[in-house]
Amino acid sequence: MTGVLPRACARAALVLFAVAAGVFLLTDVLPGDAVLARTRGGAGAAELARLRAESGMDGPIWERFARWGWSLLHGDAGTSLLSDRPVSTLVGERLPATLTLAACALAVTVPLLLVLSWWAGGLAARSYGGGILAAAAAIPQVVVAAAAVAVFSGLLGWLPGVSLLPIGAPPWHEPALLVLPALSLALPSAAYGAGLLSGSVADVRTLPHVGDAILRGVPRWRIATRHALPLLWAPAIRVVAVIAGGLIAATTVVETVFGYTGLGELLVSSVAARDVPVVQAVALLGAVVVVTGGVLADVLRGVRA
Amino acid sequence: MSRFLAATGVLGAVVALAVLGGHVAPRDPSAVVGPPYSAPGETGLLGTDGLGRDVLSRVLAGGSDLVLVSLLAALAATTIGVAGGLLTGWSDGWTARSLISAADVLLAVPQLLIALVAAVAMPGPAAVVIATVCGGSPLTLRVVRDATRLTRGAGFVEAARCRGERGPVLLTREVLPSLTGLVTADAGMRFVMAIQLASALSLLGFGAQPPEADWALMIRENLPGSGLNAAGVLAPALVLAAVAGAAAATAAHAGRRTNTGRLA
Repeated sequence: MTGVLPRACARAALVLFAVAAGVFLLTDVLPGDAVLARTRGGAGAAELARLRAESGMDGPIWERFARWGWSLLHGDAGTSLLSDRPVSTLVGERLPATLTLAACALAVTVPLLLVLSWWAGGLAARSYGGGILAAAAAIPQVVVAAAAVAVFSGLLGWLPGVSLLPIGAPPWHEPALLVLPALSLALPSAAYGAGLLSGSVADVRTLPHVGDAILRGVPRWRIATRHALPLLWAPAIRVVAVIAGGLIAATTVVETVFGYTGLGELLVSSVAARDVPVVQAVALLGAVVVVTGGVLADVLRGVRA
Repeated sequence: MSRFLAATGVLGAVVALAVLGGHVAPRDPSAVVGPPYSAPGETGLLGTDGLGRDVLSRVLAGGSDLVLVSLLAALAATTIGVAGGLLTGWSDGWTARSLISAADVLLAVPQLLIALVAAVAMPGPAAVVIATVCGGSPLTLRVVRDATRLTRGAGFVEAARCRGERGPVLLTREVLPSLTGLVTADAGMRFVMAIQLASALSLLGFGAQPPEADWALMIRENLPGSGLNAAGVLAPALVLAAVAGAAAATAAHAGRRTNTGRLA
């Protein structure tokens, strides 16, 4: 255990720094800049150059990166080019919606993932379970979300097909709005996670004490929860960490399909509007989630080893 | 084996349909043939979309660009990943180590962001290729590197070394053929990744643009009318799912056949 956590954190900090640089470089490629966006085409070339010099935007890229990183470390993510509001406020407004959605999705994903991996790790399904899970996990998020809308909202009319959040109310105010988005997030990630976990499940299911319990006639659900699950916690948490990182990208698509105003929707609209500071902040937030999940997984592996 | 044949058969059929479908479409995919959102059977086999265009013809015509671009993206990502994996698995030098670090960083940048930014700066298909290469080849590199490591001391490589073969020849003539199954499986997964990216980009409005016929774009366009003609959404969704699912199932099978040996 000694040294696992510090080493993982140091590695994560290095990767995050590199990612921040990567995100900054990437968004720097976006055509147009802050000055161009603010003046909205109403300034000549000389005026633009003067404004750029004033705000320090004509400096070399490493200088601008350093200034951005420095203010970010002080909790200042800049100002939106579009609305002139602080980026932290914009992100703060959207964060509860996305967190609620992600939490609901995970609450469905985890039990489903455990059941699916139990099935795929069994003797009966070993030859084809992996292929079926791989095929299910490969179905694009777009398809799952669209099929959910077309069937449950369009054909059956049971649930709303768009999830427009009421303004001023918390996202959990109307749970019916969350059902379809959460389900369409959960299904592919459960299949993906089950594919990752089924190997460990297969190993656990061939252990002597499990086979012994089967011979003694212990009920199957009891074998699963009492004899197998305690050995599966470490790999399962690792898989959930991987899935949580992937949810960020998936939620962008789902939020757009359902018109759900979360962070993913903010990312897409900001990229479309070339609102660079907002894009940088949201993208970095996504990377922090991915890297944190990685650290968690590394530490758990270290603990088990 | 029969399941493998089934998955490959479905994959081949859907890819062929996607690429050639435009030529067998019963109607012009961009022509208005009936009232908007006609139910299946009223106008055409699958009804019409929001502008009254034939859904069946648009499904048939809407896959070729998506599938061809995804194939190209998968080919590029796999080629770069395999080359990097062979290099980093074979040598432990400075170049190899910096390649691995670069791959780690690329993996931590959200892939969708790369795709979105690339799509703003360049046409959609190029963005799909670039994002698949950035997000996919690091994964390929890791897998191929680990497998190459294992073959370094293998008997057939030693034998070739004793015959006097040198690095590049050893890698391309001895090591690479032994990884065929692994690389095939990996290419399949990169294809799936490209399909997922391309469809996400189109849905978000950064990929194919109207009035083009494109499966993901059709989903986006026909979603509001799913209560009137659900086939407008379900038909393109089904073919997208079939392409991706069959590719993944084929890849899973190809991967398992190699993993039964020592490379597991």
